[in-house]
Amino acid sequence: MMIARPIVAGSVAGAILGDLATGLQLGVLFELFQYDVMPMGAVRYPEYGPATVAAVSTAHAAAGTLGLGLGALVGLVTGMLGGMSMSVVRRATARAVQAVAGRLEAGDAHLLVRLHVTAIARDALRAAAVTTAGLGLAQVVRVYFAGTLPLRGVTLLGVAAVAAAIAAATAGTLRVVGRGANLGWFVAGIAGGTVLAWLR
Amino acid sequence: MTSAPRPPLGRSLLRLFTVQGSWNYERLQGIGVGVAEEPLLRDLQAAGNGAAYRAAVARGAHFFNAHPYLCGLAVGAAARAEHEGATPNQVERLRSALCGPLGSLGDRLVWAGWLPVTSGLALIGVALGLGMGAILGFLVVYNVGHVALRWWALRAGWAHGVRVAAALHQPFLQRAAAWSGPAMALVVGAALPLSTGYLAAGFTGWARGLLFGAAAAGCPLLWWGRGRLTGLRYGLALLAVAALAGWVWR
Repeated sequence: MMIARPIVAGSVAGAILGDLATGLQLGVLFELFQYDVMPMGAVRYPEYGPATVAAVSTAHAAAGTLGLGLGALVGLVTGMLGGMSMSVVRRATARAVQAVAGRLEAGDAHLLVRLHVTAIARDALRAAAVTTAGLGLAQVVRVYFAGTLPLRGVTLLGVAAVAAAIAAATAGTLRVVGRGANLGWFVAGIAGGTVLAWLR
Repeated sequence: MTSAPRPPLGRSLLRLFTVQGSWNYERLQGIGVGVAEEPLLRDLQAAGNGAAYRAAVARGAHFFNAHPYLCGLAVGAAARAEHEGATPNQVERLRSALCGPLGSLGDRLVWAGWLPVTSGLALIGVALGLGMGAILGFLVVYNVGHVALRWWALRAGWAHGVRVAAALHQPFLQRAAAWSGPAMALVVGAALPLSTGYLAAGFTGWARGLLFGAAAAGCPLLWWGRGRLTGLRYGLALLAVAALAGWVWR
């Protein structure tokens, strides 16, 4: 349903905190990072949904653009934790499947459903744990880190976050677009978007 | 052969929404696919003291991997094949044969097409000031296509059974696959400068110059360093450098 997509998670988190502008900003930022990810097969990738929630929580404390870099820092670390935890849960589910392989081969439908529901619950717990860890990290950064950087340093963090997001989105999209005919459409899109951004 | 006049496709579809929930390194999507197929196999319980049903349930939960939105095609086709008395070997071969095509078609249609197109439009909407309206629009438009694709896949699988390959040659699928690439490239291309303008609105002077420099340097690094350097790693590295520079440059 894509409710955990960064742009959705960020705006909802922002709306809950009464700071929709920050939610949208971090949502856009992590949506750009998401373009670097193709969720295919067994590939391990960062989980940017809970990451965006933690990022919004961090940035909410610092006003406007100042919070962008700190939010990105917390969000990227949370996203990395999310990716690693996904791997742990998948291995745990594999062990659970191996443990009852005989009964599954006998066609025990109740067991099959129970196994599936347990795996979903395990994944929900994992997501909750990642979000909690992210929110904890947000609190640590707010208390111990936010006040120590001068304005110029906070601006640098924001610049780094936005630059990395744009680079990730561009490189990720180019990987999918390739060097064929679609490259022309990509260049046309960039040209159109640039004109539109300039006219605004 | 067992007839199944009104298959519980709705129940199977609801279960298909959770198909990734039990993804694991042993059977990949197998457990989720088996759970989604089970309601379609209940008619087999009467035959042979339930042996046919249990054997079909066990086969349904074997290794499977494809695009999650198109799994329904395999679920419907395998269940129909079980009802039509296909041999265990035929059902296993059908499932194996569908993994690759459903994976690659789904990746092209959804992960590299419909999803970036709709999320790119949402980014454009936010950048142009539509706010929450852009997010709601994304959720509605994306999910209309998403649910329609899942429902079509399940119905087509059930309708075609072992001859399900015919469903993959539907003209609308071919057209959608052909259009998804250019549409994604155009929309995401347009979203990039607009999102940049939106995010960089708070920066001025040297900060903007630095931003464009770091972004321009990151693109080739990520392009040539793919596999080793990811967007996340580049982001963390850049943030670490920025924090250090900010601490030194007081």
